[in-house]
Formats: sequence, structure tokens, C-alpha cells
Amino acid sequence: MENNLFLSEMIRSELSEIVGPDFVSVEESDKFIYSTDWAWMPQMWLDRGMPLRPPDYIVHPGSAEEISEILEVANKYRIPVIPWGGGSGTQGGALPIFGGILIDMKRMDKIIAIDEKSLTVTAQAGIIIAQLEWALNEKGFMLPHYAASSNCATLGGALAPRGTGTLSTKYGKAEDMVLSMQIVLPTGEIIRTPPVPKHAAGPDWFRLFLGAEGTFGIITEATMQLDYLPEARLMRAILFNDLNKALEVGRLIMTHRLNPLVIRLYDRESTSSQVKKVLGYEYDGAYMVMGFDGDPEIAALQEKKALEYCQQLGGRDLGRDPGDAWWEHRYDFYYPPKSLKLPWMYGTTETVTTFDKIANLYWAEKKAVEEGFADWNVKFIAHFSHWFHWGVMVYSRFIIEEPPQDAQEALRLHNRVWNAAMQAVMANGGMINEHHGVGLKLSRYMRKQYGEAWPLLLKIKKTIDPNAIMNPGKTGFGF
Amino acid sequence: MNKENIMQLQIATPTLENCRYCLMCRHVCPVGHVTRKETLTPHGWGLTIASVERGLLTWNQETVDVLYSCADCGTCRAYCVTDQPLPDAIASTRANVAAQNLAPTAAYEVHKALQEWSNPYEKHVPETVKGQAEIALFVGDDAKYLWPAALESALKLLEAAGVKPVLIGVGRSNGYLASSLGFPETAEMLVQTTFDELKASGARRMLVLTPGDYYAFSLLLTERLEVEWPQGVELQEVMSLLDEKFTAGVLKFKSSDDKRPYAYIDPTHSLRIPARFDAPRRLLAGVMTSSGHELFWRKERAHPCGNSALQFTSQNISDHLTYARLADAQQAGAQVVVTEDPGCLSHLNRHADCFGLRIQGLYELLADHLL
Repeated sequence: MENNLFLSEMIRSELSEIVGPDFVSVEESDKFIYSTDWAWMPQMWLDRGMPLRPPDYIVHPGSAEEISEILEVANKYRIPVIPWGGGSGTQGGALPIFGGILIDMKRMDKIIAIDEKSLTVTAQAGIIIAQLEWALNEKGFMLPHYAASSNCATLGGALAPRGTGTLSTKYGKAEDMVLSMQIVLPTGEIIRTPPVPKHAAGPDWFRLFLGAEGTFGIITEATMQLDYLPEARLMRAILFNDLNKALEVGRLIMTHRLNPLVIRLYDRESTSSQVKKVLGYEYDGAYMVMGFDGDPEIAALQEKKALEYCQQLGGRDLGRDPGDAWWEHRYDFYYPPKSLKLPWMYGTTETVTTFDKIANLYWAEKKAVEEGFADWNVKFIAHFSHWFHWGVMVYSRFIIEEPPQDAQEALRLHNRVWNAAMQAVMANGGMINEHHGVGLKLSRYMRKQYGEAWPLLLKIKKTIDPNAIMNPGKTGFGF
Repeated sequence: MNKENIMQLQIATPTLENCRYCLMCRHVCPVGHVTRKETLTPHGWGLTIASVERGLLTWNQETVDVLYSCADCGTCRAYCVTDQPLPDAIASTRANVAAQNLAPTAAYEVHKALQEWSNPYEKHVPETVKGQAEIALFVGDDAKYLWPAALESALKLLEAAGVKPVLIGVGRSNGYLASSLGFPETAEMLVQTTFDELKASGARRMLVLTPGDYYAFSLLLTERLEVEWPQGVELQEVMSLLDEKFTAGVLKFKSSDDKRPYAYIDPTHSLRIPARFDAPRRLLAGVMTSSGHELFWRKERAHPCGNSALQFTSQNISDHLTYARLADAQQAGAQVVVTEDPGCLSHLNRHADCFGLRIQGLYELLADHLL
């Protein structure tokens, strides 16, 4: 596009006719800002004074119909289309690596309906989650997707990479809360998925769009399950000397369906670094926070039973204050300078597996990273934060405080550490991620992750997006 | 290295390094909310400025327009867990840009007016202080030129409360506008002149009509300007004083006959003074008998009304901020919008008809219902 000003202007004019001139930008200052997202890779690249590939056009559509027309233009000229919600992804999922039309969804931010009988909300996908939550709270409801990115991520951005929030252990992932969606397909058709997710009218095809990260189309509207704001929320902290025993406590709580809203278990290294830095507590051991909410009597009983497991396995009850402090400051971990930030190198190699494998996976990944990159004084920290009836997610992270200054060298090292972590994860039965999505960073692992099933996904992609315009380079799909 | 450059290094750099990739306050940024542009958010401003420092961008008309599109309302900082002073960093960057003659033309025009007339609205020099009193009332330029009824009513209310202040700063900017546009030395000159008047008045307490004035004479001084608040002098909002007198039973109001539903709009800069949200609401409830509605963007998340430096450098964004306040009130079910800030009243009033709303000054409403 850069070398053909005539064609570039033709396309800009067409986009302008669709959304109006105020909602198309080709300004260099805008292109620059939209050239990066929240992933470490592009941030590091810019930090080293190296420009990134920007989008050619930034478009702010106001309706699904406008998006449909934009995609028609993109198909006609074979231009990449990058859906953009909050740009808060950690895997480079919103990077316009081949340029093209970047569709910022944030103009589509209306709450369409709140059904107080069925406890659902229907909203446009560009609404920022925190704003949606405030509006729901005023009516006594909550959308229990309390992600750390709620202040910046959009509703569509929670669904597209199958996001998970703090309360997922009780209320599920974002994908578990969605009843139905409106989607604009890559070929421009505007479709609606069935009105309810649980039925037997054929295969569960609507889930194809959850986790596709915009490669199968653009989510423009979603109906989400709500909950009442809880009457009580009981938080507590427990300290374990033995991480494996703490993991066993988590397993017992989950398999006996005590229904905690959260169990967050920090490993020893994370306790002595992150918990100390943000909450100010100095503990030697594995710090576990757990919480129960809803009816006060039921929550108290669930907590009592959970504490019994803790005591049986050597957990020391630290009381309510450290639990409440964690709840109060649970997002503080993500505000700089408390958060991990440049010039450090870091990555979150989060994964999920079943209870029988989780301890081995954790120790194997830790060993692979710490021993493989000891020369770089790498640190490996982790917490276990999203629990299921069958297993748990481990939010593992590596940190190198003095990475190479050369951008290419730094990127190579980052990829090498990630490779070591992912090989250990996959060798021990883990998935390449649980909730951050695949994006650009994990694209190269998709074939290995899915093995014989991968060609099926490629066929589906080719059928849905024949010109491969949608978010190329992400979730394992090329351009 | 000049003063602006030093400020740029001392204040801006660490803040921008923290803010340039942080997205945690974007949900409350009013400019981001009305434009939906990533570039016009705290992250966008932080990254733009930091990238100029790194040689990835240069200051040109586009990037300078971006820099001057921040409302300097303090919402981002009010929501920042680590209290990053991004608005101050943006203001100091503007000072750097302005010193290089790269700021928007409108900024220089306003600056010239402030230097010459101490206000951006009328070619009149401020009136000089007349007499002495225990209490002074800073009038400013908005109350003098944009909404004089607020001042008249405030004086009537103060008299009823047993307070007879001497007027200072009549027609003079409080310094915020000059600071926000990147002219800290002019801001300091304006503030210092007001303080000279305050000293001449012999007052031990200075009242202000708006949270914007309160901010200008408190945090703005300590965080951006090199002027010290006069020792032994107390600063208080008129609204806070009236609330004290009302709560103590000194001030009494009759009920309004107006039965239309109303909404109170927290004036621009309110969230920079967190303890001030209840006083105007209490006073309003003392007069109105109809139901009061709350805006979505209220109290701790109150958005500005459009009366900031944006009205001179980015009229379109300023107007959209005003529309957004009115639309918020309309959606809340209000028919009457009430606030006390003369600048807010002036901006809201320009567009209220389009939203079917009536604008009501809070000082006037209270004064009209004094018993």
C-alpha cells in the first residue's frame, strides 16, 4: 500500500464512504500508536528505538453493517483486517504485522438490553468491561468476568481469546458466560448464533468463534449471563510450607465442589517477590488466598470445610486481613512500576492441565527455564489461579532483569526461553496457554499442540476466510 | 537548559516510562471516551511523548495536536494505583514544545491574552482589590465574564451566612489555563498577582467558587508551579462553607416549586478534590423536592464539561465533552441540569437545547430559595 498512493487513496475513500471521514485515520501519529499492543515483543522493539509495521488504515465502525462493508473492501483488495478491542493482549494478537485495515471496535459500546428475569445483558462488543460492570452494578448485577484487563479490555476482547477472570473458579471463563453472539464473517455475512448455548440442535459451532482471535470473523455483539452482586464475600489467606500440599488442598476443594470464587496459590518465589512488593507481606512459603461468596451462611460453611482441608495438610491460617488486602489490591499487580515492565524481559507462559499432572508440569517447566537460562539470571515465578473440577491453570512467568540491549538478540532470547517453557509444558500434558490466547507469540506451537487435528482447523479457516484476510499470522494461521 | 527542560526531565520522564504501556486508566479517560481513539488516551499520550524522546516520532502538527488533545482533567491520575502524575508530565512536555515555538497557534494567542489581560475572554485588565476583610473571595475570569450570576448569588448566600468577603482576582485567570497550555511562568505570574492582592486584603481565608479554582490554588501550586501558598491563610470552597452553614442551621431554604427531575453535574476538576462530592448534593436536596438523578460519570469518575484548555486548542473535543455530559444527564432521566462552576454552566448552556435540558446555576438556585 505504501508504494501505491493512488490505490491507497482509493481504498481510504471507500472506507471513508462506509464509516464517514471522521472515523478513518491514515495519520502517522495514529498509525504509530496502533502499531503495538500490550505484548512484550513490540514494546521492547519500540523501546529500543525500532519502529513497527503500522496499519495502513484505522477505522472506527459504528455497526455490524459497516464492518460487513469494510470486509467487502478488504476482500476486494485482499487487504489484512485486524480487529482491535483494547489492545491489552499479551501475545501480540492485535499486531498489524502485515499492515492493512485495523478495525477499532470501541465505537460499538452500547448496552442493548438487560434482561432482569433471565439475568442476561446484551451489549456491543466494543464496550470496555469495567464500564459495562459499573452499569450492571448500578442495577445490582455483575458480569463475573473480573479480568485484570477489565479497565482496558473490551467485551469482544474477552471472548475472542477465551479470556479468564479472577472469579473464574466459581463463575467460569468468559466463554462460559456467553449465551449468543452476533458475528460478521470474513466474507461479510452478519450471522447470529443460536439464542442459547445449551441445546442439542447439532454441533456446537458457535464456539468456533471463541478463541479464534478474530481469524474467523469479528464478534460485534454478545449476550452474557449475569449474576446478582453477592451478599457476602469471605476472603482468607493460608500459608503452606509445601507447594505440593497446597496444590492437593486446591484439588480437594475443587473435587468436593466447595465452590470457591477464587483460589490463588503463589509459589515460594512469587510469594517472596510479587506478594511482598504489592501487598507488603513477608512470608516464607506458598501464600494461598481463597474466597467464597453469595449467601453468607453458605459461604461461611464452604469456607469452614475448605479450612479443614488446609489444616489437615499443614496450612497455617493467616486470617481475613491478608485475604481482604489481596482482594482490595488484586489489580495493583498490573500497575507500573509494581508490574513487570521494561527494560526487563518477561513472559507469561501460563498453561493448564489436570490435577494428576500439574505438579510435575510446574517443576519441569521451572527446571527447564531456570537451568536453561541460568546464565541470564532468569527468575521463574508462578501462581495457580484458575481452578476447575479436573485441574488447574498455572500462571508461570520468567523474568530476566538484564536482557540484551540489541533488539533482535533480545527477541531471539525471548523466543528461546519461551520454547524451553512450551516444550516442558507440552511434554507434561499442558496446553500452550489457558487464557492469554495464542496471538502471534504462540502461533508457531499450534501445529504441534493439535497434531493430527491441525489440518482440520486449517480447512475450517480456508472455508470461512477464503482470502485469508482476517488477522493474518495469528492463532497459527498464515496470510 | 531552561526551566521547562528541567521540569521535563524531572517530572515527565519517569512518569512517561510508567504510563506509555499502561492501559489501566483508559476506561475513565474522558477524551478517550468521546473520541474512541487509542492515540487520545493516557497510554497514547505517554507513548507519543516517550517515542519523541526515543527518536521514533518528532513534534509536528499531528503529534502536537495529539499532545494538546488531553483535557488535563486529572481523571487518569485519580484512578492510578501508583499515583502517576501524567497530567503534570503532559503539561511539562507542552511547556517544552511551547518553548520551541511548536505549540498550536491558539495556545500562543491565549497566552498573549493572559499576559496582557489576565484572561482569555475580554480585553479588560482585572479590577484591583478594594478594602480589607478577614475573608477574601477569589472571583476569577469565568465568573466575571462567562456566568456573572453565579458570583452575585454566591455573595448573597455568603451574606446570609454572615460572611462579607473582599473580592480579589476579579477577572483574572487562576493560572490553570496557562499551566495547562505549557506556559508555567505566566501561570506563576497570575497566581503571584492574586497572592499579592490577597496579602493586601489582609484576609486569613480565601474562598473560591469552584473545584477548579480550589485545585489551581492547592495541588497545581505544589506540583507544577514554583509559587508557595501564603502561610497562615486557609483555602475553602464556597460550596463547602455554605454546606457547613446549612448543616448548622444558619442557612435555611424554602422548597422549590420546580417538580422536574434534575441531575447534578460535578464540575470539571471535582475528582481532584475527592472530599467535595457530598456538599453540593446536600444543599441541592435541601431545595429541590423533585427526584435527583445521578449521572453515570459522577463523583470519583466525573468527567469534565469541556471548559479546559481544550476549548481553545481542540474545540471539537471540547464540544464533545460537553455533549457527553448533557447526554449522560438526558439518559439519567433529568430535565434540569444543575452545577455551580461558571465555566461548566457556560459550556453546558450553549448546547442544552439540543438535548431538551434546562441549565440551572446552583448558586442562583440556592440564593433564590433563601429563607
